[in-house]
Amino acid sequence: MTAPPGFNDLVHAPNRLQICALLAVVGSAEFSTVRDALGVADSVLSKHVAVLHDAGYVEVHKSTCASRVRTSLSLTGAGTAAYEGHVAALRAITESVSLADRGPVRRRAAVT
Amino acid sequence: MGLGDGVGPGEAAAALAAVGESRSWLADRATAPWWYHPMFGAFNGGLIAVGAARSAVLFSWSVVGYTFACGALMWWNQQRVGVRIQHHRGWENVVFIGQVLALAVVAGLACWLGVAQGLRVAFLAAGALALLLTVAFGKLTDVVLRARLQGRL
Repeated sequence: MTAPPGFNDLVHAPNRLQICALLAVVGSAEFSTVRDALGVADSVLSKHVAVLHDAGYVEVHKSTCASRVRTSLSLTGAGTAAYEGHVAALRAITESVSLADRGPVRRRAAVT
Repeated sequence: MGLGDGVGPGEAAAALAAVGESRSWLADRATAPWWYHPMFGAFNGGLIAVGAARSAVLFSWSVVGYTFACGALMWWNQQRVGVRIQHHRGWENVVFIGQVLALAVVAGLACWLGVAQGLRVAFLAAGALALLLTVAFGKLTDVVLRARLQGRL
């Protein structure tokens, strides 16, 4: 069984897919905002961000504001391409099934 | 089993649904509170209405206050949402340009009626109109932004 083109095992993990989905439509997002969106602990998010960062998909920026360190995340060009390719692959999987479901109906309609 | 290595259509559909949920969550969070656009409208309207005083000094200080107030409001909203949204994309850009043009026409008319024709009340009327236009365009921006974040645009 072959994966459709663009399918990305690294992005497919549920939390990583959601991180990419959020970052794909914004310039950057605060670490705490992404954590709230996913409903996970800081340590869990850190682990997933590290995987995406090591793959070159996510950039981590640290800045200091009023003596507090703020961490923000953004998707790189490679990350955007990987995410969009993966979503297209997921759509291809679901559409291939819905087309297969529609096939017999068309044939039956042609007979009647 | 589907086409992906061990990924069935059910799992693919669930993953796409999770993407949609994340986007909806972000769209809800990014939508401005109800008073945000009226506040911007008050700033825009106030800057035009202050022309009725016909005082260059007052107008100059108003521009300083306007710049500071708009900057502070936008900064606060970005801190609240926790994301840096690239507004000037596609339809959001069209709405923004429409808003700037509409406000420029209103301000221009106010100047013409107020200065050339001596109708000082024109500045006040234009200020009120600018408030309404800012709220209308702001709501439209929210609609377009929501659609983009949810992947409908």
